[in-house]
Amino acid sequence: MSGTSAVIEFAGVNLSFSGKKVIDDLSLVINSGDKVVISGKSGCGKSSLLSLVLGFVKPDSGKVVFGGVAVDGKTAWNVRREIALIDQDVSLGSGSVESFLEFVSDLKVNAHLDFSPHKLMKFFHLQGILHKNLKDLSGGERQRLAIVVSVLLNRKVFFLDEVTSSLDANLKKKVADYFLKRDDWTCVIVSHDPVWLESPSVRVFDFEEKVWKH
Amino acid sequence: METLDIPLVNLAVAFLLLLIPVGISIKYGLKLIKPLFVSIVRMTIQLALIGVFLKYLFQWNNAFVNIGWLLVMIVVAVFSSVKSSSIKVSSIFLPAFISFSVATLTVVFFLNVFVVPVNSVFDARYLIVLGGMLLGNSLRGNIVGISTFYKRLKMDSNHYLYVLSLGATETEALMPYLRESVQLALKPTLASMATMGIVTLPGMMTGVILGGASPEVAIKYQIIIMIGIVTSTIASVVLTIVLTKRVCIDRYGVLRSDVFRKETPSRRKKL
Repeated sequence: MSGTSAVIEFAGVNLSFSGKKVIDDLSLVINSGDKVVISGKSGCGKSSLLSLVLGFVKPDSGKVVFGGVAVDGKTAWNVRREIALIDQDVSLGSGSVESFLEFVSDLKVNAHLDFSPHKLMKFFHLQGILHKNLKDLSGGERQRLAIVVSVLLNRKVFFLDEVTSSLDANLKKKVADYFLKRDDWTCVIVSHDPVWLESPSVRVFDFEEKVWKH
Repeated sequence: METLDIPLVNLAVAFLLLLIPVGISIKYGLKLIKPLFVSIVRMTIQLALIGVFLKYLFQWNNAFVNIGWLLVMIVVAVFSSVKSSSIKVSSIFLPAFISFSVATLTVVFFLNVFVVPVNSVFDARYLIVLGGMLLGNSLRGNIVGISTFYKRLKMDSNHYLYVLSLGATETEALMPYLRESVQLALKPTLASMATMGIVTLPGMMTGVILGGASPEVAIKYQIIIMIGIVTSTIASVVLTIVLTKRVCIDRYGVLRSDVFRKETPSRRKKL
């Protein structure tokens, strides 16, 4: 993919959950290297944009395209292997941090990766949590652990759903800088946080008005 | 050694024992009399009917009828297992029926062909009694296994989707749930096997001993039936999950919400 090629494209997408319209005729293009912040009230369905690309929900009509390929039941599996997702609830599961990291690195798709988390864990202030249970981590620790994993996956597209909500100001900045400074990464960020919204390197898409704000 | 028959009058006397639970229920206000009465009546009528039915079945001893009756028992077992999960019966009846049949018939025929020296593998006494024993005893395991799998998967849908996003194959993503369900399904059977003979003197053995056989024979039957139960429980739970997931999980690897029953509305959680 060259510098300006479209990575993600929504073409006339409609989506509703149990009769309630969530997305109404949305067309949107996200290019390679873009840092896009999706803004809008909570509960208005911003996250469903990410779910659509990952094939977790299907549009009622319209097309969702990733890397030039329409997302369907067959292609979604490959699309997921190109995207690093951090979901809003940071659903890492249960068990120890170590066993979680092992589970992720043992997945067939990650077999070729050099999956050594120590340097990144140190960078994000996560030393000494390896033997803790995931359930005992604070919200902020889980967010940072998910961030570490997303980076280790060595993918080029990041879906970051409210990933800084439980972090203090310093860490917020550290995380935002970490993602925004990488020109080769495409980031779709769902957040209300000024640390993302006010950064000069992002484009902001207003989900409710369906317009680019800047 | 002949089994002592119980005269009908004496059978009626046995019901007098129920005065004790009735008395306790009244004294402590347990409100158990009605459910107790309903269950006792049902049990008595069902057994009376099946007693008559089995009498003729054993007399007739026709291979096709025997197989047919075994299949009826399997249908009922499938219904009770599926009914207690949150999945619509209509969605998964067929795959569950196939799994239960394969698991039960394989074990019964193995036992009848290679283990018990029966004259005909279709002999009612062995086919139906052993089959019923297997079905009855693996029923609880099947109920636990199948309902746990879909319940956990649904409750855990955010995590499951996260694992898919990591690039897991469907098998990789489902494996933890399968493992947990089968382990839970088998737990009671494994526990009762481990204490068998000491804590539990199982029904099968009691029946065989009362039926006039020596304890040695009873024990041998108990051993083969326990091996059969463990085998058919694991096989039917795993097979049922493997076959039903093709119906309950769509091509995207996402749990379909329309296979769940209405009482527990499943709105696919947003990411």
